Amino acid sequence: MNIDQVKKEFPIFDEKIQNNDLVYLDSANSSQKPKVVIDRINEFYTKQFSNVGRSVHYLAVAATNLYETTRTSVQRYINAKDKNEIVFTKGATEALNLVANTLGQSYLQEGDEILITELEHHSNYVPWHFLRKSKNIKINFAEINQDGEITLEEIEKKITPKTKLISITHLSNVTGAILPIKEITQLAHSKDIIVVVDGCQGAPHLKLDMQDLDCDFYAISCHKMYGPTGLGILYGKKKWLEELPPYQGGGGMINEVKKDRISYGDLPNKYEAGTMATAQVIAFDQSIKFLESIGIENVMKHEAELVEYGQELLQKNNSVKLLGNPKDKGGVLSFTIEGIHPHDIATILDEDGVAIRAGHHCCQILHDKLNIPASARASVGIYNTKDDLDKLNDSINNCKKIFNL
Amino acid sequence: MNLKELYQEIILEHGKNPRNLLKIDDFNKDAKGHNPLCGDNVHVYLKLNGQRIVEDISFEGSGCAISMASASIMTDLIKGKNESEAKEIVEDFLGMIKENPELKSENLLEDEKTKLMCLSGVKQYPMRVKCATLSWHTLVSAFEDKTDLVKTEN
Repeated sequence: MNIDQVKKEFPIFDEKIQNNDLVYLDSANSSQKPKVVIDRINEFYTKQFSNVGRSVHYLAVAATNLYETTRTSVQRYINAKDKNEIVFTKGATEALNLVANTLGQSYLQEGDEILITELEHHSNYVPWHFLRKSKNIKINFAEINQDGEITLEEIEKKITPKTKLISITHLSNVTGAILPIKEITQLAHSKDIIVVVDGCQGAPHLKLDMQDLDCDFYAISCHKMYGPTGLGILYGKKKWLEELPPYQGGGGMINEVKKDRISYGDLPNKYEAGTMATAQVIAFDQSIKFLESIGIENVMKHEAELVEYGQELLQKNNSVKLLGNPKDKGGVLSFTIEGIHPHDIATILDEDGVAIRAGHHCCQILHDKLNIPASARASVGIYNTKDDLDKLNDSINNCKKIFNL
Repeated sequence: MNLKELYQEIILEHGKNPRNLLKIDDFNKDAKGHNPLCGDNVHVYLKLNGQRIVEDISFEGSGCAISMASASIMTDLIKGKNESEAKEIVEDFLGMIKENPELKSENLLEDEKTKLMCLSGVKQYPMRVKCATLSWHTLVSAFEDKTDLVKTEN
């Protein structure tokens, strides 16, 4: 598929939003959905619905096969070694909570240290904070440099003999910095440190190869990846998923249940208790095939062009200040305007049909560090064009006019 | 939707140069408010005399033009009113921001009502109502000596 044709595949862009054509620059928050994904959900509920993994009737078997097909597609897409290293969750947040909880139960000990970074989203901090409370585990923070990056050297500096785990973002949802995950993992593994990656922003925009990155866990948010809401993926190395205890108990995750003993099911069932987001899993197969049809290299090239164009445009705009200037940068443009609060910017842009996010983007630690309460953020996806960024810039100029700047 | 109605000149002016934006030395009541969604903070200080009249009032905080202007106008209007008058004005303001077409309070002069009505444009922006109401909820909390942080989500 040609990247220029991609926008046509997303029905929302045929809609008028408050009488405007939609300029959607909030994909870091959640992406829009292509027609194939929307149609697949409808088709599954209309013609094929059944619960998976339980009954023996025709529909149940067919639904189970479809569900497992997505697991295989995910394995292929992220180049995991084994299909059973893919666990479906209700979101990346649950995936990270699963890792923190189970490592806390059976691996991490009181006095151990965890290294995260100042760039982390709250969902890659709060679950570790729970362990700080319950197990007296210490959390250290790798600090950003002046360009809003986390360097390998900084990670190395913050590792102590007590560091047992490093949990880091692949791509910052605020500065856009792409972290050197492969190098960090090599360094960590040389010191027997586990690496957990928050891949929410990485997965939709970067080429993924778990065997090459070699991290121990990688969390994915499907709704940011042109897929349905209510679905996430945890990639975990087989040795970890086999060794760690279950996270939630319930139907589907057991082997045998007696009054005096319970044994748990094998992977991946062990981590998929209860009825899962079946329709979402099955529809997510279309998201992966959609991305594969465009080609991740084309996605990356397109988005790199957009971010470079947007960055130049905003740098030239007086009074706009971009947050961070990482050399390796994903499609996120966070900014402030002296004299206009980000919420006022977002409201005014919305009136022009330009949808951005304003606030702390679930990164209060980073905003505290930058000494600002909030920022405005424009983030791109495969459907965006340079025209969208021109409209963003025009609308920013409108803000300045309203505020007499 | 009408941006001009939301960002009237008086809002922009109060947003840029908020009145009473300081911590008064001799306050005897105060409360903090926080909007967890956007990170806005406000701290309201009151000096209430023996007759429960607001001798002085001020605020500290950061936020958007709407929240700063709202806190600024509020402190201007509440100064000199007694506690029950002030609370009645708060109720009237919150009612207006929510649904009432106009202000009914007998404790406000016509020109004070006109000033306060400048904030009525917020009604059309449901996501921004909290920006306008945070400082007012916090004021009530200060009167009542509540130590809990006021959160707009509640």
